[in-house]
Amino acid sequence: MVSQMQSDKLESPRQGFDTPRFDPDVLPPLSPALETVIRAETVTIRYGDFAAVRDVSLKIPDHHVTAIIGPSGCGKSTFLRAINRMNDFIPQMSISGSLLYRGENIYRTRCDPVDLRRRIGMVFQKPNPFPKTIFKNVAWGAAINGYRGNIDDLVEKSLRQAAIWDEVKDKLHQSAFALSGGQQQRLCIARAIALQPDVLLMDEPCSALDPIATALIEDLIDQLKKNFTVVLVTHNMQQAARVSNFTAFMYMGELIEFDKTDTIFTKPNKQRTQDYITGRFG
Amino acid sequence: MTTHFVNLLEDLRRRSARMASLVEDIVQEACESVLDANESLAERVIERDNDVDTEEVVVESEVIRLMALYQPVGSDLRLLCAILKINNDLERIADCAVNMAERARHMNRQAMSPQRDVITEMGLSVRDMLRNAIQAFATEDVEIAQSTFARDQHVDALYEKIIKQIVVEGAASSNGMAERLDVLSVAKNLERIADHATNIAEDVIFLATGEIVRHGDVAAKMKQD
Repeated sequence: MVSQMQSDKLESPRQGFDTPRFDPDVLPPLSPALETVIRAETVTIRYGDFAAVRDVSLKIPDHHVTAIIGPSGCGKSTFLRAINRMNDFIPQMSISGSLLYRGENIYRTRCDPVDLRRRIGMVFQKPNPFPKTIFKNVAWGAAINGYRGNIDDLVEKSLRQAAIWDEVKDKLHQSAFALSGGQQQRLCIARAIALQPDVLLMDEPCSALDPIATALIEDLIDQLKKNFTVVLVTHNMQQAARVSNFTAFMYMGELIEFDKTDTIFTKPNKQRTQDYITGRFG
Repeated sequence: MTTHFVNLLEDLRRRSARMASLVEDIVQEACESVLDANESLAERVIERDNDVDTEEVVVESEVIRLMALYQPVGSDLRLLCAILKINNDLERIADCAVNMAERARHMNRQAMSPQRDVITEMGLSVRDMLRNAIQAFATEDVEIAQSTFARDQHVDALYEKIIKQIVVEGAASSNGMAERLDVLSVAKNLERIADHATNIAEDVIFLATGEIVRHGDVAAKMKQD
């Protein structure tokens, strides 16, 4: 991994581009009451010479669901994974610009990625439970992080918050692999919640699930925003419209439009957003 | 599938525009039937209303079907919402025309005479408004839609004028009260048609801009929230 953001001093984010792309108009119209949790300013992420994300600037508000939509290859997952430094594992990845979590530069030298990922948890496309019991799946992260409270209570609370407690309370010591796909995904959400993160990143969390399991996860996302800030990447535009408060539309690595979800899906300001959401391209 | 949806949407837009033309025709015939006391024309208006009723159901069913099958968003959603609402207004306009035609069946030209000029002017203004609103819908032209609103005030003023005339005449003599009520009913229906034309213009603005301009204060407050 080649990080160009290892100090708080930033390099010129527009290096290599003909025109400046920073556009204050795409910053979300947050009211002063909404606190920003994640703030990106002219973030560019490259894999070698290829810029997967280009000069993206946006503010993700606290205790809301922000959806990132766009066609395949638009950079939405790359941007999401940059928020908790999951891209660090990718060779030749470099990032420039400013990516702040509660005012702190995520890519500063002093930032411990493991600690960052405790605060900014992640749920992946395919459910990936550990080959352990349901209980241990939830308890494991907290236990190895030195959790000193009552672990039974933490497991129950996390499973309840993930809306799966009633389904698993009588089989906590059975293998997590015995659960259905939808249950496994909610278990993974419970596992992420058990670390008591501030932000939950979700990368296509329903793409491998049937409609009923999807509906359960969508209901859950709506509940989760009471306690967490949720950032959701989805290909399913109807899902973005249903569950999110704010929506960012990305295309070819650029942020085209960021606004309230109602606005994006009823009267988007940019023609490319309009064309994408109505299926005219993408 | 997207091309298919776009084609279906265009078909529906054309169908709705055809229905609008039909309603415009019916209103013109209703006005003529009243002013000329033309009973056969009045009968024709009443018959043609059945066509409007049928179209209303067909268009509404298609809007619901497209919404259910394609879950449109953005401009497609606005178009379907606008078609659904305009569809309802067109059907109500045709009902108003039928109400006028029913009065025309037993009116005579002489009974109309004191208010004839004002009713004629109302009819022209209302048809002009309706034509404007329909043209705005066909072209998604906000300026044409907005020009409809000022004319509505003129129609309201003419309606007030007729009411005052009828009150004065009624106070002077109770003779011809039934005829006056017929005239009042015609004026009321013309005024209602103008209101529906205004609604259509408002829906065109929503279609083109996404802004709800109806009940200005409410919309502005919602925007602030």
